[in-house]
Amino acid sequence: MSTVLRVESIVKRYSDHAVLNGVSLELARGEAKVIMGPSGTGKSTLLRCINHLTPPDEGRVFLEGEELTSENINKIRQRLAFVFQDFNLFLHLTVLDNVRIGPRRILGQSKEEATERALTELRRVGLEDRANYYPAQLSGGQQQRASIARALAMDPKVILFDEPTSALDPELTGEVVAVMKQLASEGMTMLVVSHEVAFARSAADKIIFMEGGYIVEEATPEVILRNPRSDRTRGFLKAIGEQEAV
Amino acid sequence: MIWNTLYDNLPYLLHGTWIALQLLAGLLAIGLVLGLALALVEVYGGRLARVCGIVFERVFRGIPAVVLLLLSYYGVSDFIEIPPFLAAVLALGLRSTAYQSQIFRGAIQAVPVGQMMAARALGMGRVEAIFRIVIPQAMRHAIGPWTNEFSSELKATSLAYVIGVIELTRQAKYIISSTQGNILIVFGVVAIIYFIINRLGNIALYRLEARMTVPGFERRRA
Amino acid sequence: MSEFLDFAAEHLPYILEGLPTTLALWILAITFGFFFGLLLAWCRIYGGRLAYSLATVYVEIFRGTPMLVQMFFIYLGLPEIGIVFDPFTAAVVAIGLNTSAYQAEYFRGALLSVPSGQMAAAQAMGMSRMQALIQIVLPQALRRVLPQWSNEAILELKFTSIAFAIGVTEITARAEKIGYQTFEFFNTFVLVALVYLVLTATVAELLAWLERKTYVPGVTARAG
Ligand SMILES: Nc1ncnc2c1ncn2[C@@H]1O[C@H](COP(=O)(O)OP(=O)(O)OP(=O)(O)O)[C@@H](O)[C@H]1O
Ligand SMILES: [Mg+2]
Repeated sequence: MSTVLRVESIVKRYSDHAVLNGVSLELARGEAKVIMGPSGTGKSTLLRCINHLTPPDEGRVFLEGEELTSENINKIRQRLAFVFQDFNLFLHLTVLDNVRIGPRRILGQSKEEATERALTELRRVGLEDRANYYPAQLSGGQQQRASIARALAMDPKVILFDEPTSALDPELTGEVVAVMKQLASEGMTMLVVSHEVAFARSAADKIIFMEGGYIVEEATPEVILRNPRSDRTRGFLKAIGEQEAV
Repeated sequence: MIWNTLYDNLPYLLHGTWIALQLLAGLLAIGLVLGLALALVEVYGGRLARVCGIVFERVFRGIPAVVLLLLSYYGVSDFIEIPPFLAAVLALGLRSTAYQSQIFRGAIQAVPVGQMMAARALGMGRVEAIFRIVIPQAMRHAIGPWTNEFSSELKATSLAYVIGVIELTRQAKYIISSTQGNILIVFGVVAIIYFIINRLGNIALYRLEARMTVPGFERRRA
Repeated sequence: MSEFLDFAAEHLPYILEGLPTTLALWILAITFGFFFGLLLAWCRIYGGRLAYSLATVYVEIFRGTPMLVQMFFIYLGLPEIGIVFDPFTAAVVAIGLNTSAYQAEYFRGALLSVPSGQMAAAQAMGMSRMQALIQIVLPQALRRVLPQWSNEAILELKFTSIAFAIGVTEITARAEKIGYQTFEFFNTFVLVALVYLVLTATVAELLAWLERKTYVPGVTARAG
């Protein structure tokens, strides 16, 4: 298995308070990992440090063996997509333009090529009939699916998801989870911060449990969900009501 | 010798400033009284009153201040003699009425309807409720925009120049023609005087706004 | 009334010959103000200390002093140091510099009001900061600013009449000339007032149309 994303000892401090205390992880090609952990534990910060939306204080990130630096960051981000909790679709652009702007303006494809690509990705997430809507005219679930299409249109090697369903009404999470499951089954490499246990159980290769800026444990869903090593993991799963009877 | 010129002419500039301030006070007072009355009529009056108010606002905001000044001085002089200062106060005052009524209308409408209902439920009459409950709250909403109106009217007083009111800008023009030169310096000094008055006025109005603030009304813009 | 109509019929054409001058003055000034205002706003938000300070001082000075004084300063004063403008150019420069200070403040507010997630999302896709500002933030800011910008543009249209004080023969100057020829000042200035009313109402309609045409749900609070 070839490593696509390698994260080495990321440290991030806000003033003198350390949010990440040396976090390392790896993603092999086609692997999907889910990060769980209590609120305020640094999960979002970790994802944002990985693509340098928040530059880390220490530590290194490699995508396909290439280290992220302030020089190559824009190039690397083209292959390291990010899906936000609150979608952040571009408000002044239609859904089609949101998905098309990456291939067209960043990858420099022709208009026809970019449009084709965008329509393909919209079909993939089931939104081809919403292509000419503006973000504000879509439901939250549709917006999140559109933002996933926007990420996919860049042909990324890895997609980082930061709680993609937690801003959604419960009845809308299903459609987004379905799209993500499909991506995982198609072999997309994904790092997902999420408390969607159903998704983790069926689609994740590994679950990473984080607390206090550390990775407490990392194991397969069966192990973490049924028989975690750490009491803290157990406690957390219990708190979200998802520890399964042994 | 520039300084001598300035020193010799300082009394004229100060007198011009004094006239400008009188003009400003007069036009703002007219605008305040009539503007508030117009706003009340528009909000609480019937349809006809509202339509008349809106037409008045449209007309006086659609015509340039310079044209209003020319109309109220030269135009009115077709019928009766009118001193330039009075013409300027009237023209700019009515124009300010249009702007201020818009400010007060917005401010009155920003007071939740529940306030009026609660006052009536206590047994206050409509007029009493307007003056005791609605207006005090509306004034707190209005003071921010009113500060802007103050600034723009201070600057508008300089336009009274075109009908020969001997305010600050015209004094500057006189000084320049009598001393032949020093134009940049004289207008520079005049600009500074306007700038300072504007600043002082704004500071005073911010203070007033802060004094009027009660919890629930904190909304100072940066 | 019919007397006024006769008067209008006779003198309106002469006044309206000033319309191209008024409109040219206005369009040149607000266009200049648009670009320079944007630059000033840019300096105040994204600029370094020096750019920020210079832009701030500029905005404060031009918003703190009357346009007429600025116009005299430019038209009468600058020749003292060898900078000579004809009246029309001086008026364009004065109105343009003045409006850019006001437009700068509107642009600044609008740029700052674009949600920060928009920038983050654009950068996360690989856009440079500059590219994100131009392709994502600016288009949204311009839509948000349009109602205020329209007000400012209409205000400046009325301010073009100040140019008459330095001898630009636009609408107001022509009206004054007619006043002195006919000694019917009241009719003259009522007539020119009506011209401005029609002009400002038309421009307001056009800008409202532009607002409706560029309306995108979710970017601005409401349609124009
Ligand atoms: N810009 C910032 N400045 C200061 N502190 C910050 C900043 N961003 C995050 N933090 C702090 O870092 C810690 C981790 O935040 P983070 O958002 O990464 O947590 P999280 O694990 O994603 O939590 P949640 O599940 O609530 O999203 C929190 O204590 C937060 O207050
Ligand atoms: Mg988070």
